[in-house]
Amino acid sequence: MSVIKNNRGEPLPAKEKSLKNIILGFFGSVRLAVAVLTFIALVSILGTIIKQNAPPDEYLSLYSQTSLKIISLFGLDDVFHAPWFIGAIVLFVINLLVCTYNRFFSYFRAEKKVRLPEEKALMSLHMCFKLNLEREKDAIAIIKKRFRRILYQGEDGVVLERAPYAKYGVLLIHGSIFIILIGSLIGLLWGYKGFIVLHRGEVKDMMVVRGRAPKEIPLGFALKCRDFNVSFYPNGAPRDYVSRLEVIEKDRVILEKDVRVNSPLSHKGMHIYQSSYGASPTFVFRVDGEPVSLREQDSHEDDGFIMIAMRFEKAIHDFGPGVQVAFLDNGEPRTTWFLRDIPRMRQRDLGGKKVVLEDIKEDLWTGLEVSYDPGIPFVWTGFGLMMLGLYINFFVVPGKIFLRRLPDSIIVAGVGSRHIDRFGEIFEKIKGNLYDTDAS
Amino acid sequence: MTLMHHKILGLVTALYLAIFFLHILYFAIKKEVLVRSIWIFLYITLALHTGGIIFRWVDSYRVDMGHAPLSNFYESLIFFSWCITFMLVLMKKRLSYPVITLFASLISLILMGYASISPGVDKNIQPLIPALQSNWLHIHVITCFISYAAFVVSFICGLLYFFNMAWTGSPSRSTLEEINYKSVMVGFPMLTAGILTGAVWAHYAWGSYWSWDPKETWSLITWIIYALFLHARFVKGWRGKKIAIISIIGFFSVIFTYFGVNFILSGLHSYAT
Repeated sequence: MSVIKNNRGEPLPAKEKSLKNIILGFFGSVRLAVAVLTFIALVSILGTIIKQNAPPDEYLSLYSQTSLKIISLFGLDDVFHAPWFIGAIVLFVINLLVCTYNRFFSYFRAEKKVRLPEEKALMSLHMCFKLNLEREKDAIAIIKKRFRRILYQGEDGVVLERAPYAKYGVLLIHGSIFIILIGSLIGLLWGYKGFIVLHRGEVKDMMVVRGRAPKEIPLGFALKCRDFNVSFYPNGAPRDYVSRLEVIEKDRVILEKDVRVNSPLSHKGMHIYQSSYGASPTFVFRVDGEPVSLREQDSHEDDGFIMIAMRFEKAIHDFGPGVQVAFLDNGEPRTTWFLRDIPRMRQRDLGGKKVVLEDIKEDLWTGLEVSYDPGIPFVWTGFGLMMLGLYINFFVVPGKIFLRRLPDSIIVAGVGSRHIDRFGEIFEKIKGNLYDTDAS
Repeated sequence: MTLMHHKILGLVTALYLAIFFLHILYFAIKKEVLVRSIWIFLYITLALHTGGIIFRWVDSYRVDMGHAPLSNFYESLIFFSWCITFMLVLMKKRLSYPVITLFASLISLILMGYASISPGVDKNIQPLIPALQSNWLHIHVITCFISYAAFVVSFICGLLYFFNMAWTGSPSRSTLEEINYKSVMVGFPMLTAGILTGAVWAHYAWGSYWSWDPKETWSLITWIIYALFLHARFVKGWRGKKIAIISIIGFFSVIFTYFGVNFILSGLHSYAT
């Protein structure tokens, strides 16, 4: 029994050992495939054991000086993007392509001529039986249900085939890997990922792109968070978080969607995912009777007076939430705390102004992941083709049936090229069908 | 709160233990009637096991968290064990050797026993966190665990290859090899389907179809090992010992993908612990 034809993938016995054949032989060899795949598997293990892409301090605390040197020398802190890892994948792709190239012609060579073997040859086959001459029409009708393709038809008999496409299963699987890798390369070259934090009601048209040096780039449209809600299970675990988002272009809302985990928004090839959420406080002050709302790190300036909401604490000892405020007192920078729940600590005189902390509101914000990956269609196509290829390769049973007319009877014989046992079952079923109808 | 499914699954665990003793008895007295009763027990156990999983599903609605029981470590252990027995029944024609059913049901017993005894495994029905609220959950988990179960069978064959167990009525070496390939032929496409559905799901949930998370990486390593198995067997024509060794290595990789990653390495899949 053999799933994949025993074809070594190397060039078939070459007439001359030309340089081209030697190179094709090396790069297309299964031995190279085994070596490269084993290498990729082994270093992938390293990539799961050694902490990846962590900040430098973490490495210092995790590893000794010597091992750190080795880690940074080989780029083991980012194995999957290290040049030698990419190199191994490139070698693998070359191997895959050359191997496919070498095998490619053998797919069509076998196609050329189908002969109907002589009686003796057919009788020597493992799967064969004889029938009366007048049963020929029945036999062909029954066989044709499962062997649709006529390869040969003549005075002496017919050759029928099932699942002729089965031999392309391997090609499909290998090709799909190539397509997936092309897709991921496209994603690496032209794709990017970003992050947006939106408060309720806030509109933004820029996103932060992560990396060693994070930077803001334009989204290409504006995004407004109309609402954000979190719900919880009785045990406190989050049940659902939903951002109601609006896509705004040229001051017009062109798309509205509730974005939740597992349900991203897609616009202009960009996908926007619900990723995280949090709360940030808003401090409602009254400065000499005038209302002033500040977020953390916001400042308020008025006629030479300046105050900055420095730092929020949820609970200062047992006194409840408070905010540290910095201000200028006769040109001298000073800080002081405002506590919401202690009347005495809610009012202060800052540089001659009467400042009252009226309230601290906690505002929810939604963290949205943005990704643009033009390689996705390729990757999805590759996935589909790979599943199709695997199905064809492992579950489709190809084979041929030969039917030869003899002077006094007909011979039916079968040859399976793969999944021989299952082919045998099909053959037995046909045989059984013919004998059953014979008896009736 | 004791729910119906806990009782059923407790009974299922006891049945796996009974099946284990039936095997021991068979090896002691070698009566064919015992093999038949082993299979009757396996059918009953599979039916009850299925019932237990369905009841847990129903019970989850009763506690207002309705979701398929495929979402935490306990549920995955129960389902893994179910898949192994399912695989036995599905491939009965090929796997009907007491020594194979012994090891397979023993692994089921260990998984069930671990799930119910270990204090580290939370047996309660837990609410489904937002990341898991997706239809991809079902297809992803089912394909992965069917592949794991197929690799369990492959592992048993690989292991038995090295022991002369003729006295147990163990299949011949060539039959073991044959069953080994057959199970990898089921396991490999299923693992591929599991990885690919996982990737598509990750795209919709996390915005990236592949992020070299330890679980992903280890599933890829496992995939590569079984791909090597298939190429070694069908292209290089390897036979016997070498193939058996690859199937054993492959299974260790499966075990690491399933347990090791959760216990030793942390990552996106951490809710499975």
